[in-house]
Amino acid sequence: MSNTSDTIEAAAVEAATVDLPAHAEATGRRGLQLPNLTGFILPFIILVLWQAAATYKWIDPVFLPAPLTVMTAFWKMLTKQKLAFDFLASINIVGQAFIYGSAAALLLGIAAGLSRKVEEFFGPTFDTIRHIPGIAWLPLIVLWLGIGAPAKILVIAKSVFFPVFLNTLQGIRNVEKNYIELAKVLTLTRWQLIRKVILPAAMPSIMVSLRYAAGLAWALVVVAEGLSGLEGLGFLIFRAQGLLLTDQLLVCMVIIGLVGFAIDRSMFLAQKRVLKWKQGYDG
Amino acid sequence: MATPGHLTIRNVSKTYSLPGRPLVNVLSRVNLDVEPGAFVTIVGPSGCGKSTLLRLIIGLDDDYKGEIELNDKRIVGTALSRGIVFQDHRLLPWLTLEQNIGLSLENSGWTRAEKDLAVREHIALVSLSGFEKAYPHELSGGMAQRAAIARGLASRPEILLLDEPLGALDALTRIHLQDEIQRIWEVEGVTMILVTHDVEEAIFLSNKVVVMAAKPGRIVETLDIDLPFPRDRAAPAFVALKRRILTAMGEDGGKPTARAA
Ligand SMILES: Nc1ncnc2c1ncn2[C@@H]1O[C@H](COP(=O)(O)OP(=O)(O)OP(=O)(O)O)[C@@H](O)[C@H]1O
Ligand SMILES: [Mg+2]
Repeated sequence: MSNTSDTIEAAAVEAATVDLPAHAEATGRRGLQLPNLTGFILPFIILVLWQAAATYKWIDPVFLPAPLTVMTAFWKMLTKQKLAFDFLASINIVGQAFIYGSAAALLLGIAAGLSRKVEEFFGPTFDTIRHIPGIAWLPLIVLWLGIGAPAKILVIAKSVFFPVFLNTLQGIRNVEKNYIELAKVLTLTRWQLIRKVILPAAMPSIMVSLRYAAGLAWALVVVAEGLSGLEGLGFLIFRAQGLLLTDQLLVCMVIIGLVGFAIDRSMFLAQKRVLKWKQGYDG
Repeated sequence: MATPGHLTIRNVSKTYSLPGRPLVNVLSRVNLDVEPGAFVTIVGPSGCGKSTLLRLIIGLDDDYKGEIELNDKRIVGTALSRGIVFQDHRLLPWLTLEQNIGLSLENSGWTRAEKDLAVREHIALVSLSGFEKAYPHELSGGMAQRAAIARGLASRPEILLLDEPLGALDALTRIHLQDEIQRIWEVEGVTMILVTHDVEEAIFLSNKVVVMAAKPGRIVETLDIDLPFPRDRAAPAFVALKRRILTAMGEDGGKPTARAA
């Protein structure tokens, strides 16, 4: 007993201190530093190759401008054009679409997970709508709502909705029967059962889908803006292609990549926080 | 202190019917009287219906013939007056130790302060003070089992059922926890029914050992254990009882005998 309790004690002490914000921050930073350093090696190599390709004219600068040219283009777009405005337009669409889509998905997913009747009611309709890609909806929705933000928000919210809905439903259905039995033994009411047992048990599955849906939403906004509308990063990309402004095109691509990276990282951290009770959980 | 419950099981039979298969007699005419404050252990081969019997007593299954009464009242559904510790500790992984124990008090009708006190007292009872905020994955198997015992006792039930609570533990931890269960039983004064495969464990802890046999699940022998506590596992009387129970299990296991009828 004595040697087991020693090791466990250390773990429990650590667990007890996790609640302190200072400690949590410290571990968070420590956790990020190592992968960040190794993770910078490849981007650096790519940057060097890119510069070399420009310097030694491996590729026509019209098709691949030098990194410095791209930096200058970035600065010009930021100061002389309205890059920040376009950037915020895209962020706004993704943010709203993600919030509306996932909120509706959680609500209906929980309802369908808890009641077969609700699932049967929505099942066939949802399964059909689900198979029409969001982008295929866009032309029709644009006819209804115009080329502004609402049409894009609706279409992307639809794409966010389904993965979250399905995972919420599955997460709830997969709750171990043992836990339901335990709730019965403890005489929990239905509401207590949902709040204390079913939702937490479904949370890992829900969090995975939220993270996936956030990334998907960001990817789709670029497509949606490219197809319709006159603002946003997606619009800039397709305009840059039409005008052969490769430097501007690359600026947009890099921004899109970095924002996607940031979205995924923050979703990962949120996931880790919500699921801190999971043993050895790494995402 | 909890009021110990008096459990009476009369002529209880239970069958499972699976589609396309003949009826299975899982329990056949089981009679058992458990005195208030007694410690009764059920031993028997795998599949003889021990867990099934506990499920009936706890109220998870009311599809049976016969009567089960606690303090002369027929049991209906689950109730906080009947607690259970499952073989898998069944702590909810997303709740801390104190939240897990507190979950059994959600519908106790007690005040916040009374609940907090009961949680604290029962964590101390199973010697887990200091681990209140630990999640189940941070506990060893033995600690998790003790936490489950604390959860089973926190609402001060009249009877606590233990379904092979130590089955998954190593020998040393088992013996240690047997001492703990003994101490807890004496401190709490609650009626306990333990299911185990370990005959030594049964003799060490109980006033009464019930031996069951399978096909159909039934009681083949009931032995009163009158040795004084704490018991010496090496004492001749202990060893003699062990031999007797093993014989009862070995000879009667599997085939229906005259004694069962
Ligand atoms: N839900 C069920 N449906 C059909 N048969 C069942 C069901 N649950 C249990 N049984 C059958 O009832 C019998 C008794 O099962 P039970 O779990 O009570 O045995 P046990 O004595 O607890 O065994 P063990 O020592 O292995 O835990 C077994 O033969 C099993 O196959
Ligand atoms: Mg069993």
